[in-house]
Amino acid sequence: MMKVILEVKERHKPNLPIEAECITPKNFLDPEREFHVWKGNKELDITDIFHVRKDGTAKSAEQVEITIRGDSSHIKRVGEYMDGGKILIEGDIGMHCGNFMSAGLIEINGNADSWLGREMHGGKILCHGDAMDYAGSGYRGEKQGMRGGLIEIMGDAGDFAGETMAGGEIIIHGNAGDMPGVDIKDGRLTIMGDCSRPCGNMSGGECRIFGTAYDMLPTFRNEGLTAIDSVQITRFSGDYMSRGLGTIYVANCKYMD
Amino acid sequence: MQEIKDMICPFCGCLCDDITLEIEAGKIVSTDNCCTIGNAKFLGKNRLKNPIKKIDGTWTDITYEEAVDTAVEMLLDADRPLLFGWSGTHGEAQCVGVHMNEILGGVIDNTTSVCHGPSILAIQEVGHPGCTLGQVKNRADLIIYWGCNPIEAHPRHMSRYTTYADGYFLDNAFRNRKVIVVDVRETETAKVADEFIRIKPGGDYAVLSSLRAILRGKSDMIPDSVAGVSKTQLMQVADMCKTCSFGALFFGVGLTMAKGKYKNVRNAIEFVDDLNRHTKFTLTPMRGHWNVYGANEVMAWMTGYPYAVDFCRGVAFYNPGETTAIDILARKECDACMIVASDPAAHFPRACVEQLRDIPLVVIDPFETMTTTIADLQIPVAVTGIDAEGTAYRMDGIPIKVKKAMDSDYPSDTEILTRIYNKMLEVKGL
Ligand code: SF4
Repeated sequence: MMKVILEVKERHKPNLPIEAECITPKNFLDPEREFHVWKGNKELDITDIFHVRKDGTAKSAEQVEITIRGDSSHIKRVGEYMDGGKILIEGDIGMHCGNFMSAGLIEINGNADSWLGREMHGGKILCHGDAMDYAGSGYRGEKQGMRGGLIEIMGDAGDFAGETMAGGEIIIHGNAGDMPGVDIKDGRLTIMGDCSRPCGNMSGGECRIFGTAYDMLPTFRNEGLTAIDSVQITRFSGDYMSRGLGTIYVANCKYMD
Repeated sequence: MQEIKDMICPFCGCLCDDITLEIEAGKIVSTDNCCTIGNAKFLGKNRLKNPIKKIDGTWTDITYEEAVDTAVEMLLDADRPLLFGWSGTHGEAQCVGVHMNEILGGVIDNTTSVCHGPSILAIQEVGHPGCTLGQVKNRADLIIYWGCNPIEAHPRHMSRYTTYADGYFLDNAFRNRKVIVVDVRETETAKVADEFIRIKPGGDYAVLSSLRAILRGKSDMIPDSVAGVSKTQLMQVADMCKTCSFGALFFGVGLTMAKGKYKNVRNAIEFVDDLNRHTKFTLTPMRGHWNVYGANEVMAWMTGYPYAVDFCRGVAFYNPGETTAIDILARKECDACMIVASDPAAHFPRACVEQLRDIPLVVIDPFETMTTTIADLQIPVAVTGIDAEGTAYRMDGIPIKVKKAMDSDYPSDTEILTRIYNKMLEVKGL
């Protein structure tokens, strides 16, 4: 096993974002590798931003565990293209954490900024706090968001969670914001709390809302009551402004009439 | 007294090209054909006489040379400079801005991000079924204004291109051209419409979805009322749209900035797409600033992206919501800023204005504005359309040469930006 501890140093301009897509378990396998991060337009060595400690050895990414400590709320793109191993973030994490990841585990003890697990293919992201907008979504103009894997958010999610989702699973234990699952094509989105306007332009996949869906869109057809895990829930098909091939299960819903 | 005809009004996205100016003793004294807001721009006062710099909290007059040096120093010192504005200047100056941003490794964004940015995001998802305003004027027999109020924001839009304009292919255009207005309140424009749809705030997406479902023959599932609009009216409007021979949907920030933002616009585009299975229908964003469309054109052809372009790492990265000026400022993610031809202090949220106040701020603008009060340096320039000339793009994407009416001692935006850019090259040894 190899344990890597990255502790964020005190910074003179703490709000300037740091782009650190080099932080993936696999990259630490190569002892010769240089790690560069970007602070705005300056390319820096990783040690300019983090105290780095490395213990043990590893033969594969699965044997590498990275811990990020300190104020990492402005560190972006951690775990981008990650394909195995584990990243533990003790505090909050910046935007685009786990972009395109295909395997492994990212665990965030604090909150995650927007675009958590953008276009992810596999693996798991567990966020103990809240996630901001666009968790598991696609990039701008992209047809497909998340395609596989699991994002579990113990707190609330912001707007557009699972936008253009095309596979995999998102579970939000708290509330979701506006338009979760908009343009969803496939995969499963579960919201334990409330949300508004779920799944506009849905063309496939499944969404389950155990709280209240506010401003429910009128273009979903009520298909009657059913039960999930002995919870009474209404099944809707839609979105009939397009072909209507998706399914939403909603415990309660309110329309804007 | 000298009279100059066929001048371009540099105020709103209509870019009216039939303005007459009366000039006396090197000053514009009156305008003809112009609307009141355009007129106010031509007769504008408060022009700053020379560059000013804040030294120990007080404004000091400096020369252009000193101003250029100061601007270069402030911007080159930064780790993440932001270059914002651009929609109030001509395309040639915008080009220099993009080059400068590349040298600096900064973020360049234009005012699109606070008006029609969502429209562009939607267009990037599903395309743009657009046409020129000339087509609308001569062919359209149905006009929809959705979330916009041209009578107040684009005062000559209706007289030049829609309601009050003659149409080459239309008989008695004034009578036969129908106008639908969709808004959350009864605006001046709504009062002259044939059909006014009053929508509850945040209800645009649901109403567009319902219209689309009706077009697809799914009207049975639409409830009696959607976001304040009766089903009867929705059916009637869907029918008006389907049976017209050429429809044109114009939309404004009422749609782009309402809840759901770009997904509203995407829904509107797809509604227009659906209508094109029945008739001819087009869609045009009502662009606000006279050359904001040009800013999108210039940035798109030079960098691949129309606004919010981050060059920090030497290559263009675009992600509205992350690389847009409002977001960068609110999150304090920049450490110097240059504003060109825009007045963010008057429009931006408070947190953003505070960040602008706290970092080195260069303003390039002919007039003293709200932003002047929080700046560290302001360089006055000539006004495009009055004493400077250049290219601008009308809201329908038509490039128009904006002429100047007179000469002055002020440098144009292009001239001053080129001087700053050349100095940057010199300092960086490039
Ligand atoms: S409508 Fe717009 S471009 Fe035309 S005169 Fe008025 S402000 Fe100027």
